[in-house]
Amino acid sequence: MPTLKRSLAKIPTKQHHDTPTMFTRYSALLAVVAAVATPALAPAADPFADTVENANKKLVKVFGAGGFSRLNNYGTGILISSDGHILTVASQLLDTSELVVHMYDGQRLKAQVIVTEPLLDVALIKIRLDGKKIDEDNGLNLEKGKGYFDFDAAVKRGPAAPGDWVLAMTNTFEIALRDEPLSVQRGVVSAYTKMAGRRGIFEFPYSGDVYVVDAITNNPGAAGGALLDKKGELLGIIGRELKNSLTETWMNYAIPIVGKTEFKEKVTVKDKDGKDVEEEKTSTVSVPEFVTLALQGKYKQKKREEFIGQGGYHGIIFVPNILERTPAYVEDVAPGSPADKAGLRPDDLVSFIDGEPIISIKALDEYMKKHTRPGMKVRFEVRRGEALQTVEVELGQHPPKPKLPLPPPPKP
Amino acid sequence: MKFTVPKTARPWVAVVAVALLAAPVSAQPKSDINDATEKAMKAASAKVAPAIVKIETAGGTETITGAPKGKGPPGAGIRKGVGPTTGLVVSADGYIISSAFNFANKPTDIFVTVPGRPQRLVAKIVANDQTRMLTLLKIDAKDLPVPETFPKKDVEVGQWGLTLGRTLDNNVDHPPSMSVGIVSATNRIWGKAIQTDAKTSPVNYGGSLVSIDGRVYGVVVPASTRAEGETAGVDVYDGGIGFAVPLEDILASLPRLKEGKDLRRGLLGVSPQGTDVYNAPPVIGAIQPDSAAARAGLQVGDKIIEINGKPVSNYSTLQHIMGPLYESDELAIKVMRGDKEMAFKGVKLLGTTTAYVAAYFGVLPMRDDPGPGVEVRFVYPKSPAEAAGIKVGDRIMKFGAATLPTPPAIQNRAALIAAIQRLAPGTEVKVEVKRKDGGKVETVQAKLVPAPDDVAEKLPLPSSAGKALEGVKPKDPPKKDPFPKDPFPPKGPLNDCDAQDEKKDDKKEEPKKDKPKIETGLMTRANEALGREYWVYVPDNYDPNVSHGLIVWFHQAGQGGKDSEKMSKTFEDFAADNHFIIMGPKAGAEAGWRPTETEVVVQDVKAVIAQYTIDRTRVVAHGQANGGEMAFYVGFNARDVFRGVCTTGATLGNPPKENIANQPLAFFISGGDKDPLIKDIVESKNLLIEKRFPVIFREMKESGKEYFDQKTFTDFLNWADSLDRI
Repeated sequence: MPTLKRSLAKIPTKQHHDTPTMFTRYSALLAVVAAVATPALAPAADPFADTVENANKKLVKVFGAGGFSRLNNYGTGILISSDGHILTVASQLLDTSELVVHMYDGQRLKAQVIVTEPLLDVALIKIRLDGKKIDEDNGLNLEKGKGYFDFDAAVKRGPAAPGDWVLAMTNTFEIALRDEPLSVQRGVVSAYTKMAGRRGIFEFPYSGDVYVVDAITNNPGAAGGALLDKKGELLGIIGRELKNSLTETWMNYAIPIVGKTEFKEKVTVKDKDGKDVEEEKTSTVSVPEFVTLALQGKYKQKKREEFIGQGGYHGIIFVPNILERTPAYVEDVAPGSPADKAGLRPDDLVSFIDGEPIISIKALDEYMKKHTRPGMKVRFEVRRGEALQTVEVELGQHPPKPKLPLPPPPKP
Repeated sequence: MKFTVPKTARPWVAVVAVALLAAPVSAQPKSDINDATEKAMKAASAKVAPAIVKIETAGGTETITGAPKGKGPPGAGIRKGVGPTTGLVVSADGYIISSAFNFANKPTDIFVTVPGRPQRLVAKIVANDQTRMLTLLKIDAKDLPVPETFPKKDVEVGQWGLTLGRTLDNNVDHPPSMSVGIVSATNRIWGKAIQTDAKTSPVNYGGSLVSIDGRVYGVVVPASTRAEGETAGVDVYDGGIGFAVPLEDILASLPRLKEGKDLRRGLLGVSPQGTDVYNAPPVIGAIQPDSAAARAGLQVGDKIIEINGKPVSNYSTLQHIMGPLYESDELAIKVMRGDKEMAFKGVKLLGTTTAYVAAYFGVLPMRDDPGPGVEVRFVYPKSPAEAAGIKVGDRIMKFGAATLPTPPAIQNRAALIAAIQRLAPGTEVKVEVKRKDGGKVETVQAKLVPAPDDVAEKLPLPSSAGKALEGVKPKDPPKKDPFPKDPFPPKGPLNDCDAQDEKKDDKKEEPKKDKPKIETGLMTRANEALGREYWVYVPDNYDPNVSHGLIVWFHQAGQGGKDSEKMSKTFEDFAADNHFIIMGPKAGAEAGWRPTETEVVVQDVKAVIAQYTIDRTRVVAHGQANGGEMAFYVGFNARDVFRGVCTTGATLGNPPKENIANQPLAFFISGGDKDPLIKDIVESKNLLIEKRFPVIFREMKESGKEYFDQKTFTDFLNWADSLDRI
């Protein structure tokens, strides 16, 4: 089993993350055992056993590209239609024409990618019979609720809350072979919050709501697995291995079925003279929108385009930025600038902008570039003495850069 | 009839009961265990949530270096996240307790948001509890909700535990993040923490560990039994091993913290006599100068029998009693001094110890001389001994503090070493000597000084009286000897001593027996049980009646077993002239030594010690590069065996431990000036000097990662041959 070996070989580099997987899995088992051992208190013999067995029939093991360096070539998928549409994570696994899925009963079937959406980090793939086209009948005819998850019903149910029991079912570490049931982990929803993940040094594109799970779920092969509530209803799609930039720790998360994220795109609009001009627009894309359109073959991947501009102009002159995290202390404000008009003063410490903590001058610059434009009104919370003051700043246009002094004219 | 509460009451039975009370609606036939527990968990979280605050910081560093207080060789460091952290209200008038980890990157500004209050507040650090890695903050707020404390006495393993934190969700009016587990153990980290298997990480450090009925067990902190500092234990985050400092303890120390003074560990300043801290009685082996123990009047040799009314049967019990204590805590100690029981009350613990500094007289003793008295082999120039007029060949008969009416008699070298270990530099001593010429007995006075960091250029030979086996009289041990016997009686078959032309003592007695054959030269040995090999080089002139020094060579990565010929050749002449045995254990991995190999290496070393007559004052761990790091590690972790550590091109991996009187350790450190590590090597040296260890440092010119140059090698040999200088 070369693939399993490979993933195990990875453990030392991520020991603190991978090792607990085993603990968590066993403690989940123990919890189930404990429940069985007390028939007097538990009305059903085992409240999780049936749930897990039913859910397992609606999940598949996915095999695709990878198997080299640190990329695994196995993952998990969620069946969401009677003719074998599978929701999974938009990972490198799908970069192949040889996509294969194993059904719960061990059937080995080919699959093909319909469409992916990196902004949501989800993909829709579909089971395809050999020699047939993707849109031709594959004869699967799965039963709603039994053979596949009722996606619309799951969306209607809404998100779960912190403290709700959840089950994660994945093919983590490729432990489940062919017709073996997927690995189950139990935990609670630790938090339902905004994603703040990063993969390596890149910021993760999805920044919408996310379930943080109190179980070590996000390991190789788990991506695309199902996060279920205690009754086995679909809540989310288990994500990748990511580090949380808030804490610099590995994150166990799932993208909610109801998840949505904002992105910036370019649109062409007519200005007041009737001329076409490009403008930036903040749009939203959601998992339900993706799934609904993708099932109909109508979904088009969004074009994300960031204007990397200077952002709005505040006119604050900061103290020299010499430390790793130089706090955003105001040294001076440019006369007549937005900051001046708003009443910012030397020695004020810019601590929050629109509620977002500003840990350093660098963070402030990044925030301005990313989230503000000229003309926007933003709320600065500044520390002045022992108290925080809130001031509203209407950002302006950056003044033109002072021209370099011209070389002195050559002497005649 | 007496009813007892069953100790093993299943915790989740209680959970269900609580859940049913909290949510009567669910008490219908259809409710199941999962509904009940879910409701109970959420209710517990909701009860404590108003007291769990969000902490945001600005400024500070991106990474926190691994070594405590920013010292020591640079470690990997931990990246500090940019997200908020968590704190817990401990007093309604604006005091918040949190984990010191959250401020380890030294932020310039701290802000606190209290649930239900929209305004962020500026917070100030009041004080730190350095023993439990907590930080107390103060905000300008009133009527804050203080959570209910779970009494320590009621905490039982198996009870449900939830860890709550504020990092993940920016909105403090949302429920805090939750992780579920149980209480895994109590009284962990020397009695300072409750252990849980709920996940603990920067997500909830500073947050609370909460019972299923919404009372607070304690505040979540990273902790480790192996290391100290703000970041100790962070490496195993989310690993099922988490810790919380009991809230009851925090509330008890809160008044002191509020005064704005950092709380430090309370130190008694004693070290055990032996290495067995579990079975041997807790006899004081050494007392740090000016420590709580020294001030109280405890003495080396006292057997501690009781502390604060609790019987103490071994040193481990003592450590557990001392573990949770703070500076200025007072102890009542009972000891046995001889057959007299003595009580010391109000022994006030100190927060720091003065490092033990070895006192130095300035003589090198003649070895393997059963005494009485100690013959002087060499007098160090400019030493107190020289100033007092001690000459080579004189015999030191009595030695002790000048305040005593008569200095105590000295039987042999071990007794003289033990005597000086109890004296601090600066002490005036009286020394009775029997002169070499004419045997005239004189008493001289000298003032002890700290050991200098120099090496004699040439030491006179012979170094041994060749009567190593005479001192051992197993059948008739002196009963009321005021000094401990040589703790390391040499072993080996009886044999002739070398007839060397030196002044022999009067009671010369040379038992003639058949010479058993002793293996000499370069030999390869195997530790059969472990399947490991080591080599040992014994000089051809080996004589069991002459005690030998032992140099344990830790090879460089990948050189295991390959360098035995070379090393034994290198040391050949020295080994014969100065009586040393050289051995080389072999690392298990090609990549080099691992700290976990210490135990097997020490076994090999002990095997050699058992077979040959080894002078336990001259056992040296010696290594280069990775081998040098191992030498440092083994030296500090097998202090009953090693008396010297000599490294080249190596840095200290961990901060150095304390200098202890009865387990002295001397260092010889070198590096090439072209070695990229030289800065760190110098830093390692400085750390050792700070701990007042005797350190010789040699920076080799025009050298990179080579072994010693000729001059440094000579210095090293002379250093190794003078480890028993007094």
